[in-house]
Amino acid sequence: MDSAATSFSSSTPSPVDYIVLLILRPIAAISFVFVFIALGWLLAWKLVLVHVPLVQEIFGLRKKPAKFKPQTRRISRYYNSINTRNSSAPGSGYPPVLVQCCHSSSIAIIKPNYSRVAISHLWSSLEPPSNRIRLLCSTFSQAMAPPAQSSRNPSPSQPSGKGEVSDLRSQLRQLAGSRAPGVDDAKRELFKKVISYMTIGIDVSSLFGEMVMCSVTPDIVLKKMCYLYVGNYAKVNPDLALLTINFLQRDCKDQDPMIRGLALRSLSSLRVANLVEYLVGPLGSGLKDNNAYVRTVAVMGALKLYHISASTCLDADFPAVLKHLMLNDSESQVVANCLSALQEIWNSESSTSEEAAREKEGLISKPFIYYLLNRLREFNEWGQCLVLELVAKYVPSDTNENFDIMNLLEDRLQHANGAVVLATIKVFLQLTLSMADVHQEVYERIKAPLLTLVSSGSPEQSYAVLSHLHLLVMRAPYLFTSDYKHFYCQYNEPSYVKKLKLEMLTAVANESNTYEIVTELCEYAANVYVAIARESIRAVGKIALQQYDVNAIVDRLLQFLEMEKDYVTAEALVLVKDLLRKYPQWSHDCIAVVGNISSKNVQEPKAKAALIWMLGEYAQDMDDAPYILESLAENWEDDAPEVRLHLLTAIMKCFFRRPPETQKALGIALAAGLSDFHQDVHDRALFYYRLLQYDVSSAERVVNPPKQAVSVFADTQSNEIKDRIFDEFNSLSIVYQKPSYMFTDKDHRGPFEFSDEIDNLTVGVESEHVVAATSVDANETSDLLLSTSEKEETRAMVANGSDYTAPFYDSSTPALPSQGQSELAITGLLGTADPGPQASTAIDDLLMGLDLTAPPAPASAPPPLKLNARAALDAGSFQRTWRELPVAISQECELGSQGAAALTSPQALLHHMQGNSIQCIASGGQSPNFKFFFFAQKAYEPSVFLVECKINTSTTKAQLNIKAEDQSTSHEFLALFQSALSRFGLS
Amino acid sequence: MPVAASAIYFLNLRGDVLINRLYRDDVGGNMVDAFRMHIMQTKELGTCPVRQIGGCSFFYMRISNVYIVIVVSSNANVACAFKFVVEAVALFKSYFGGAFDEDAIRNNFVLIYELLDEIMDFGYPQNLSPEILKLYITQEGVRSPFSSKVPNATLQVTGAVGWRREGLAYKKNEVFLDIVESVNLLMSSKGSVLRCDVTGKILMKCFLSGMPDLKLGLNDKIGLEKESQLKNRPTKRYHGKTIELDDVTFHQCVNLTRFNSEKTVSFVPPDGEFELMKYRITEGVNLPFRVLPTIKELGRTRMEVNVKVKSVFGAKMFALGVVIKIPVPKQTAKTSFQVTSGRAKYNASIDCLVWKIRKFPGQTEPTLSAEIELISTIAEKKSWTRPPIQMEFQVPMFTASGLRVRFLKVWEKSGYNTVEWVRYITKAGSYEVRC
Repeated sequence: MDSAATSFSSSTPSPVDYIVLLILRPIAAISFVFVFIALGWLLAWKLVLVHVPLVQEIFGLRKKPAKFKPQTRRISRYYNSINTRNSSAPGSGYPPVLVQCCHSSSIAIIKPNYSRVAISHLWSSLEPPSNRIRLLCSTFSQAMAPPAQSSRNPSPSQPSGKGEVSDLRSQLRQLAGSRAPGVDDAKRELFKKVISYMTIGIDVSSLFGEMVMCSVTPDIVLKKMCYLYVGNYAKVNPDLALLTINFLQRDCKDQDPMIRGLALRSLSSLRVANLVEYLVGPLGSGLKDNNAYVRTVAVMGALKLYHISASTCLDADFPAVLKHLMLNDSESQVVANCLSALQEIWNSESSTSEEAAREKEGLISKPFIYYLLNRLREFNEWGQCLVLELVAKYVPSDTNENFDIMNLLEDRLQHANGAVVLATIKVFLQLTLSMADVHQEVYERIKAPLLTLVSSGSPEQSYAVLSHLHLLVMRAPYLFTSDYKHFYCQYNEPSYVKKLKLEMLTAVANESNTYEIVTELCEYAANVYVAIARESIRAVGKIALQQYDVNAIVDRLLQFLEMEKDYVTAEALVLVKDLLRKYPQWSHDCIAVVGNISSKNVQEPKAKAALIWMLGEYAQDMDDAPYILESLAENWEDDAPEVRLHLLTAIMKCFFRRPPETQKALGIALAAGLSDFHQDVHDRALFYYRLLQYDVSSAERVVNPPKQAVSVFADTQSNEIKDRIFDEFNSLSIVYQKPSYMFTDKDHRGPFEFSDEIDNLTVGVESEHVVAATSVDANETSDLLLSTSEKEETRAMVANGSDYTAPFYDSSTPALPSQGQSELAITGLLGTADPGPQASTAIDDLLMGLDLTAPPAPASAPPPLKLNARAALDAGSFQRTWRELPVAISQECELGSQGAAALTSPQALLHHMQGNSIQCIASGGQSPNFKFFFFAQKAYEPSVFLVECKINTSTTKAQLNIKAEDQSTSHEFLALFQSALSRFGLS
Repeated sequence: MPVAASAIYFLNLRGDVLINRLYRDDVGGNMVDAFRMHIMQTKELGTCPVRQIGGCSFFYMRISNVYIVIVVSSNANVACAFKFVVEAVALFKSYFGGAFDEDAIRNNFVLIYELLDEIMDFGYPQNLSPEILKLYITQEGVRSPFSSKVPNATLQVTGAVGWRREGLAYKKNEVFLDIVESVNLLMSSKGSVLRCDVTGKILMKCFLSGMPDLKLGLNDKIGLEKESQLKNRPTKRYHGKTIELDDVTFHQCVNLTRFNSEKTVSFVPPDGEFELMKYRITEGVNLPFRVLPTIKELGRTRMEVNVKVKSVFGAKMFALGVVIKIPVPKQTAKTSFQVTSGRAKYNASIDCLVWKIRKFPGQTEPTLSAEIELISTIAEKKSWTRPPIQMEFQVPMFTASGLRVRFLKVWEKSGYNTVEWVRYITKAGSYEVRC
């Protein structure tokens, strides 16, 4: 370009320039374009077009139907070789079905289990393309067929499996004697097949003989496969296993240590008791082998021998050899294996042999521990775990030794392998158990490594570490109070991790961090995973039960109740119940909210039980408690036995506080309870019934004693068990949260029962609360032979431990029904074993007695009735109560002339009655007829009296209809009312 | 005893056995059935990785589409067992060259059996180091180290210094050092940081001849203090930020005694790739991103979402592959957005607005504003539980902790020159902002 430019500027272009300009350049341009296009086509051809079926068809490119895995090609090669060998009968090497397919060309039915190899070979042998297409179709349909046929249920009885096995056998036989080149490859493929069948569960043990015959090979992979096979099936074929002994023993003397080791390992893995005699010799020489690999294998072999036949192992004096190796071998892996072998052998021997017990003790003696500790760095990580585990059992003689060991091991806390770190932590914890202050320092020291382990690695690993951290947090929560943020849950964490974290958050809560923790927990309550949401609510509740300043937490809990998610409500109800048991002073706030919850929205038994408990316990604060209970009792069958038990108790409690309103409910509940099929419910109903018959006031003392606030909820695990778990640090016990004897001993577990214990353990806290909440234990009521009075005593002791000498309710519970009668009835009842029919008749009697149509005069002079001066009742509940109560007294009385004169307007009377603590809720009418609705409340009880009063001033008469919740006092109230009325107009 | 594993099973998600290896006789052969019946076919799967069925404990782990189950009949060491599985999987991966899944297992099951034989004997873990095992177990299976050239391989098979072979030679001696940090953040809706930590690791790739001795200097507080003490030159202090590492763990090649006494990281590296150290930092974390969400529910069927993401690292740096997942309710019917950078779309399968920004420069703050229409349902009473906004990103040449490599020294007898490459990268761990 430069030259052209200069030439343009200097003179007119020369002819050469013209040629360049007019011919060469266009040619160059055109050829460039063509090259470009050609390249484009080439690219398109290579990348796209060759794969288009039509193009393939046109250009005859289609050669292979599908791409096979390279490894299968060898077998097809093998097939081809067979084919050429047996050229007289084409396809005789194939399984019969396939051969049939070839010959008849009806390929559509091919057994699904036949491998691609066979199909690929068929492909090449099928000449007419139409047959190829058919084969393709059948291959596809086979591929599309549900996988269930091919591999889901590989049972030995499956016919295809059998066919395959016999097929394999014939092929193995052919190969066994062959020494042709490449035969090893073919063998390898066959062996692979055999092992894959073995893996998926097809029984290929019938090939044992053939496999053994084939195993004479220098190829190490083939040997390994063969050893694996032999190891797996020797046990079921002990006779045939004898065949293998010969070549295994020969291999044990091979010059290649690798083969020696492998053979020795397989020989010891045969697990056939009558072949152990052949094992002792090779093992003995293996233990003395100059190659460390063989020695490591031989050590394990000795352990295997011990498990097959302990006496042979001991007779050959292998433990002593192992001990010698352990103390002198230069290879750490040999030492580690010796250690694990000896630990196992001496552990099981120590119960019978004194010497073994002594040797076992020797393992944790000072010289030996020091020997191991000095070599610790030589071991690989697993070996270190093993050694550290042993060191944790060692008890140093003085504190200096303690510190020496700890200084030596301190750097292990920085090891990358979490298992080593945990093992080191165990050593530290065990060494310092007796030194409280150092122990605490250890906690501080191990905190950081543990937290790192938790935050790194897979969830499963961090779960394993978290369970250990959990244990430590539970032991010393105060040391972790500042680290609470590490226990915050991430959104995507699996629930098992979250659950542990929640428990730890609960444990570390104290005055300083409660606010943050509870805020965080409340976030989880809205979690999508219901289980976690529940856990977090429970956690809030637990914190509330721990702390003194529960104010804010109670508010939070009450907010939960208003969240209107059934599971949140359910959990919160249970918690509120627990909270009330500990802090009765919160009852007012809580009851107000709880009262708004419709029992229909609560379905879960536990929550329903909690709600019912609160209804019973705070019946006086909740106006409609008796009616809710009544409606619940009417739907008796809908509830779980647990709820029914609570319902019975709650109705009893309610009955003693508001008898007239609850009476109906009690009748229903007792009747339903007595005919209940559930033993506990039935027994409790019967118990209550008899108690009521015996003496109502003592029944009340049993059922409704003054409650003491619970100060500490029972711990689920005793300290002893906790210490045991702690001793088994860094093992399964920590994860299961119970000592090992509970899950490894045969006595403690049923055969193959599914372990629910873990769940039970965690929910155990709650269930215990529920049981404790009811003052009656179901089991104890079931003993019918006990007399009621005895029972009462036991109950009294069980219930609260407080004495009943000054019952609070004495003043307000004058005698109810006639006691003599009930006593008679109860003695009659107790004499009979089967209380069924009598009970139901007797209950009618009882209820008749309760129906206060003719209340007997109180035996002792009742205390004067006092009324609450500031009673409150809203119109709604008045109406409800009015509708539900029977008319207790209906009477006409004299108003007096002054009164009639003063009653010009309803207001006058209202003011007067208010002065006498009787409130008016509605009034109306004009002279001479007035109508009033009054109500009054007892001074110390929620029980109310309702009065309908019609006054005619012209006749100076008043018609009174009195209804009372506590019917026993309605007459006193009448007297009171009359006197108040008669004083009207006098002042 | 650490782990006396009685059996190891590899199962696919349907419960078919891919590999089974019985080590001991103390468990029955029907353990897989037990696992399938009691764990896989119930909802127990995923509730706890350790279960007890009958007398046996099952530890299981899911790795891609495979379950690895260890059956144990005694009171085994759980942490050890899980660590063993993780290490074994790493070993298999190094053999297969990457993926560990059902197909890889089916294609290599013979190799897996071979390896399982070597790495565990009678239930006790043996040597799991890939460097050593690769000496005598190869995919071809013909090499036997004892008969041929490497004379002291046996020492390494069982040996103490298991991580490096002698006699390595490279033309070009190179060391690659990657500092990879992942930031975990939990931020409340009000913008206060509830929890924040950085877990970092230093990955090395060594191609060095001979037996080199390496020494690594970081700007961590303890190391620096110790150094100035040792040198008795307090004047020549390191200027700049010093980092306090909460906890450090090292690869087994690091001389821990020397670390404890001198606080220097010195080691003879294994050949090839390995993880030199891991650390954790909770104090003084520089968060690379701030997320400021505002979500307004306008009535029952409409929502307005505004998310502003602010990058607070240097203006010259940039983040790659930023993905912000903004959760929306299940009953979302229609969405419309406006973003100032990147692309956003609604992904109904995870109920999220996914906002992707391929290249995110520092000191910028793109915003997303979206309007969401909801299907009104009758059971609308339950309020929507708002999952947190999640974020993924990678910021090259940035460390959230501020950790820097000060020096990396290589000593070897022959005294060759080495080329050292250092890279930094910060990734999102679980970066969650509540909204």
